Amino acid sequence: MRATRWLLAYLAAVVAVTFIHAPWLLAALLVLALAASGAGRWRIARRAVLAVLTFNLTVSLGYAAVSLWQGNFSVVYLLLVNLRVLLMVYLGFWFVARVNLLEAVRFSPTLGFVVTLAAGQIEAFARALRDFRLAFASRNAAAPALSARARHAAAQAGHLLDKSVCMAAETALAMRSRGAFDDYAGLPSPACVRGPGGEVGPVWRPRRPGVVTAYKKP
Amino acid sequence: MIELNGIRYAWPDAPTVLDGVSLSVREGEKLVLLGANGSGKSTLLKLMNGLIAPQTGSYSYCGEAVTPARLKQGAFARRFRSEVVLLFQHPEAMLFNPTVRDEIAYGPRQLGLPDAVARAEHWAAALGLAPLLDAQPFSLSGGQKQKLALAAILALEPRLLLLDEPVASLDPRASGWLVDFLLDCGKTVVTSTHNLSMASELGERAFVLGEGGRLLFDGPLQDALRDRALLEAANLVHRHRHRHGGDTHAYMHAHTHSHDWESSR
Amino acid sequence: MHIPDGFLSPQTYLPATAAAGLAWAWAARGLRRSLDEETVPRLAAMTALAYGLGLVMVPIPGGTSGHALGVAMLGLLFGVRLGFLAYSLVLLLQSLLFGAGGITALAVNALAMGLAGSAAAAAAFGALRRLNETAAVAVAAWVSVVLSGLFVALALGVQPLIAHREDGTPLFFPFGPAITLPAVLIPHVFIGAGEALLTVLVWRFARARKWLTPPAGGRGAGGEGLERA
Repeated sequence: MRATRWLLAYLAAVVAVTFIHAPWLLAALLVLALAASGAGRWRIARRAVLAVLTFNLTVSLGYAAVSLWQGNFSVVYLLLVNLRVLLMVYLGFWFVARVNLLEAVRFSPTLGFVVTLAAGQIEAFARALRDFRLAFASRNAAAPALSARARHAAAQAGHLLDKSVCMAAETALAMRSRGAFDDYAGLPSPACVRGPGGEVGPVWRPRRPGVVTAYKKP
Repeated sequence: MIELNGIRYAWPDAPTVLDGVSLSVREGEKLVLLGANGSGKSTLLKLMNGLIAPQTGSYSYCGEAVTPARLKQGAFARRFRSEVVLLFQHPEAMLFNPTVRDEIAYGPRQLGLPDAVARAEHWAAALGLAPLLDAQPFSLSGGQKQKLALAAILALEPRLLLLDEPVASLDPRASGWLVDFLLDCGKTVVTSTHNLSMASELGERAFVLGEGGRLLFDGPLQDALRDRALLEAANLVHRHRHRHGGDTHAYMHAHTHSHDWESSR
Repeated sequence: MHIPDGFLSPQTYLPATAAAGLAWAWAARGLRRSLDEETVPRLAAMTALAYGLGLVMVPIPGGTSGHALGVAMLGLLFGVRLGFLAYSLVLLLQSLLFGAGGITALAVNALAMGLAGSAAAAAAFGALRRLNETAAVAVAAWVSVVLSGLFVALALGVQPLIAHREDGTPLFFPFGPAITLPAVLIPHVFIGAGEALLTVLVWRFARARKWLTPPAGGRGAGGEGLERA
């Protein structure tokens, strides 16, 4: 439940930040967050700056151009919006770096399973798409035509569709295989638990200390 | 221990994958399920795990019929699910918990077995996953995922292990470890593979499925591996050109030299 | 095109979160009724699919490319409810697992793209399929992209009107609808064309694989998708 508490704290913090409209306070909070986040702070800060760079630069430059033309430019606004976005994104990356989200959403078992399964499959999909892209590049010496690019995009989407249907069916079976869909709560505790000497008892102990093998374990 | 009789199975909107298959496995036996891709090995293992029900034929475990209705009865379902386990071909399908520890503890917890966490820690250590107990399962490498999936089912201390292509995604060292483990563990094991080099390491009895899901052979594994006509019929070997001392034969010819699975007798 | 953190005022995202909460409850209830024990793995697979579709680069006429939205595809193949939930979960994973995307803007993004996108696609397809199925798929995909863009542009465009200091200086997003509407909609007209092309090709692929009939495992996917047709 510790992870869930961190999630709630993070959510409360970002909501609170959106109610603050004083740039100096946001700057102070950013310094505080940097101080509190330990050794990884500069890595997190770098990621946060890179993540907001394009969008914030576009909005800031656009705002500067439009407001200078209209004669109502405000440097306080630019500081406010950029500090706020940076602080919120910093908090997000900090949260991700220190909390296992999969544990944080376990207050709902269903949500926990869905999120964990999806995260695993996303990883596999991202890897497959990387290969698709590399294969496409390796088969195209010159710039490919629009039709080829469209067919390639469709092939990727089709592959993902296929895989996700297969995976959904297979995962349902794998979960059932481990008793995920049955409710055994009403049953008495299983009586037949064998200890190392073959005795029957309620406490489980490992039957042998390790596995004997001729191979060296990695 | 298990008894399958005249099993026929077809997935919805697909041709028959198993056709009139009968098979019985005794306690303690190590059985190797041989067949080419698409011969119905995975389907047969899912059937033995009670995940799908055959269209015709019957299946019993320790003398008790295994049917969808029977598996809805809590006491039988719990016993069956904790005694008969299946390692899926793609371990990703089995991993749905936030940490390695929870993944291994899931089965024992769900089935109400005692000391789920102690089991998790023991089996993680046994499979070399102890440093990863707090890691997210999806962040592991392919071989680690396979070991984690194996730990997750071994934590139930099952009587019958069903393993679907367990060595396919393991490197030689890890598959060597698995072979040793299977030989030592004293459980009944049914392993599917199309890798003839590994087959003789995985058991002593072979069950060969041909295309169309028909049973081609049931008997001693070494007899199956020696029977070239059988292996060719099951699409497990084929004729191809060979290099002999730097000389590549330009014409098709049958194998007259020894392959590694033959010399491992 | 989704909105990042820090540009939406609380007076926008708090009511949007409440509305999205109701919509999620509606979508999840519908799913539970129609799916039982396959709900969890299927929803997870669709979430991964929605994420993966977002990684596919759609060719845009004129030589550039952009990321696919994919929500029309999800809505047409698996139903509005599943499309909306899967898309919302993608936003959740992007913001909380991969640290990319806005958690405060999540509800607005989910409503604009997940719900409006898949519902618009389903409605457009339903209205036009009798005339010509291919055209109906293309229009559905185009409409879903443009409508999602419209909602995003409006959500951003109202910020200077509802959240500003007494002297009129904006507190959140600085541009009004006069700027956001053309800035978002004009590119999305072209992105929508790329998405339409992709969706038609995937639709053909899905039909060739008999994907529009219930997939292996028996039941249809969303309960209200096209697999019944």
